[in-house]
Amino acid sequence: MRYDSITEVIGNTPLVRIAPQVHGLRHIDLYAKLEMLNPFGSVKDRAAWNMARPHLAADEGQRTVVELSSGNTAKALAVIAGMHGLPFKSVTNRMKVPEIKDLLLLLGAEIEELPGQAECLDPTNTEDPLTQIHQMLSADGPAYVHTDQYYNPLNVEAHRTSTGPEIITDLGAAPDFFIAAVGTAGSSTGSAQALRAHDPNVRVIGLVAHKSDFIPGIRNIDEVHEVGLFDPATYDTIESVSADEAIDGTLTLVRRCGMLAGPTGGAAYFGAVKHLQTIDEQLTDRRTAVFIVCDRVESYMSYIRKRRPELLRRPPRTNSVATLTQAELAAAPTIDVISARTWMAECRPLVVDLRGAMAFGALHIPGSVNIVDEIFAELLHGGLPFGRSQPVLLTCPVGEQSARYAALLTRMGHTDVRSLTGGIIAWRDAGAPLGRD
Amino acid sequence: MTAPLYLAPRLEHRLTSLLGTKGFLHQLAGALGSPLNVVLPDQIADNLRRFQEVYERRNLSGKVYFAHKANRSSALVRRLADTCAHIDIASLGELRHALGSGFSPDRIMATGPKSPEFLWLAARTGVTVNLDSADELETLVAIVTKHQLPPARVLVRLSEFDSTGATVLSRRSRFGTPVDAFSRLLDALERHRDTVRLTGIAHHLDTIGLTEKATALESCIALMHECAARGLSPHVIDIGGGFGVNYLADSAQWETFTSELSNAVLGSRPPLTWRNHGYGLRNEGGTLRGALGLYPAHRPLAGPRYLDELLGLQAPSLSRPLATLLLENLHELYIEPGRALVDQCGVVLARVLEVRDNAGGECFVRLEMNASDVSLEEHGVLMDPVLVPRPDRTCPSTGPVGVYLIGNLCLEADFITRRMVFLPHRPSPGDLLTFPNTAGYFMDFSADHALHQPIARKVAAYQDGGRWRWCLDENYWPITSGSEDC
Repeated sequence: MRYDSITEVIGNTPLVRIAPQVHGLRHIDLYAKLEMLNPFGSVKDRAAWNMARPHLAADEGQRTVVELSSGNTAKALAVIAGMHGLPFKSVTNRMKVPEIKDLLLLLGAEIEELPGQAECLDPTNTEDPLTQIHQMLSADGPAYVHTDQYYNPLNVEAHRTSTGPEIITDLGAAPDFFIAAVGTAGSSTGSAQALRAHDPNVRVIGLVAHKSDFIPGIRNIDEVHEVGLFDPATYDTIESVSADEAIDGTLTLVRRCGMLAGPTGGAAYFGAVKHLQTIDEQLTDRRTAVFIVCDRVESYMSYIRKRRPELLRRPPRTNSVATLTQAELAAAPTIDVISARTWMAECRPLVVDLRGAMAFGALHIPGSVNIVDEIFAELLHGGLPFGRSQPVLLTCPVGEQSARYAALLTRMGHTDVRSLTGGIIAWRDAGAPLGRD
Repeated sequence: MTAPLYLAPRLEHRLTSLLGTKGFLHQLAGALGSPLNVVLPDQIADNLRRFQEVYERRNLSGKVYFAHKANRSSALVRRLADTCAHIDIASLGELRHALGSGFSPDRIMATGPKSPEFLWLAARTGVTVNLDSADELETLVAIVTKHQLPPARVLVRLSEFDSTGATVLSRRSRFGTPVDAFSRLLDALERHRDTVRLTGIAHHLDTIGLTEKATALESCIALMHECAARGLSPHVIDIGGGFGVNYLADSAQWETFTSELSNAVLGSRPPLTWRNHGYGLRNEGGTLRGALGLYPAHRPLAGPRYLDELLGLQAPSLSRPLATLLLENLHELYIEPGRALVDQCGVVLARVLEVRDNAGGECFVRLEMNASDVSLEEHGVLMDPVLVPRPDRTCPSTGPVGVYLIGNLCLEADFITRRMVFLPHRPSPGDLLTFPNTAGYFMDFSADHALHQPIARKVAAYQDGGRWRWCLDENYWPITSGSEDC
């Protein structure tokens, strides 16, 4: 297929059936609307393009596109703004997913993180920062285009005119159930409007996050009330999903369905199956259900690593201090400051300072070399970086980390390594010489 | 009535034990009047220990300064003087109080806005001065020179730190020298080398945001090198306070309450507050706007744990843990906890004067105190009081009741809290309502004599051989034992 612009690729995403043996529903055909296959990677491409386009067409001069977003809308807007030579600024109350932050910076976006809540209550501060920024940007001025995704009807329209109708065309009818996670409420509201216009009996299930949990792209039950596009009447039911369940759903999609969905899509899958299970038991005829896979999994590796580290299990590293036993640690060869100075004068051991480069630059034992702990760990992973009998004195701030590495070197067969007891701090306190470059 | 929405306070063993001694509390209030403040000096020593454990675990050296402004109590300050704690004072009066309570000048730091008299006494006695601005430096230098005082030890407080990568915004502060003016400040410090000695750099950000604090701390580490390059040799980074307190026992209660408050503001449930006050939230066409102007009362990551979490964060651009950077650069860490050090350190008692139902079915409980005597509401902390019935009264089996707590001022607005407070049963005149965990800012920070109403007396309570004993706050000294029987 040939296109003149990448923005023409937005939409017309595939609707793929989930194999019945995966979800276990006997009477319901469950389909995934693969919004992650949009060109910039998510369902937000549609809304971003629809909201930004009117401002790009008119000759409005150099203006900065601004959005309150810490995720996919920011990503799509950054690309679209960049293509049209406009700067983009993402304002966010917290960038919770570091990969997205880096990606936005790579795309040329500017990110502003809003301050955290004050520790001491300031009674004069009656407005939340989000609302303040909202007011600042909404005030008419030449400098900003505020796409305003939480309030902009063009967000809903994007889905009413594309996402919803695509589902009807692909199925030849509206599905019996439509399940969507609620973020800006744009995709669920817009799609639901199109589906209900075709068949008023469509049941719409909105999914929110458990209150104490965080699932990227989904608001919790309180936060949805802050969304201008959110109308409780859109949904027949609102149910909540935990972060753990979202990751479980993601696992099923990535491991069994070949759909590399992120946690938002995982939450939608999990919430869909959970909701449909009880209905399925009562059914005798066939029904269809559609849920939205919002985006891809790759950007959420740190999110998954933090919550479910066991899923990213790797074989234990060789030559790692983490594998040392208590006995090995207790037997680590050490030397105190006075003996170390004698030893240095007599045997001229290689003195390795494991501290950071900045600390080393400020103050260090004359003649020592700086191999920062992380790099030293990498070196040892490959093997001994010096001869087995080369005398080595290891130092760190207080002698704790150097003792661990001395124990590890001993295990690796080194015969003449010692850790400076009490570290650089003991060295300084004993009045031994320290130099600066 | 709707289902009770409790916000039960988090009580550790000492406060639990005190609140269990009904006779003792009623005797105290009977003898000394209502309201009455009770502080627990031994608790502050325990709290100090928990902060010190964070230092020990991370091999850091440094000092813990108690931010005196959290409570005016003598007992708490004197008890702390008997430990290895230091103290942060923010007025001439606090400085005199600290010196008179047993803190030697080398354990005191002067912060905040300072009068010339305050600066003179600080410099004369040799306490460390945490300088707010270049102007304050000049005033101090003039005082030291004119009165031929020994060189003053100073820290400089900085603000408006830059971030790398994403811009991390912080609320602007009225305190401190902006980082971009630091170089000029160093010029002045070099010039005045004979009269002031720079021992460190400081900041305090009024935020619960860890990212902002990590950004500021990393900037300070870099600025220490700038000082060293100028031949100055500061060795301290002071990160201020703001470690917070976890006030509530149960996260589910807090989450339910905040959800229901949103629902009440949106009109989808009966009000939870007097005249459906939204604590900053409002209903605009069915959408919730504004901000919840409340302290996050359930806050598991608070106090020493918050400090530990901050120290474990990776520095945003140097990509090493902040604790490691402090340690390997041989910097000392100063902290200035206030609220977090007096966590669980006190309780305010008030007598119930009247219990009255109005025609609308609302129940008012009038207390012998007013809102300024326990300024929880002013500070946005929502936490239930504990009802301590008269010892001679058998508790009625009325079941839970939602009441509005009103004060003793002839003033419409004198609600102890605008929230409907749920009590396990209907109180009676003569019962006590106790407001636990109020030693940090809620006890004597705002109390005044409006309408000639009395302000609370303050007593120190301590356990002696398993029994609770007390003395007037001003009579407490660390050697106090068995002063007055209960």
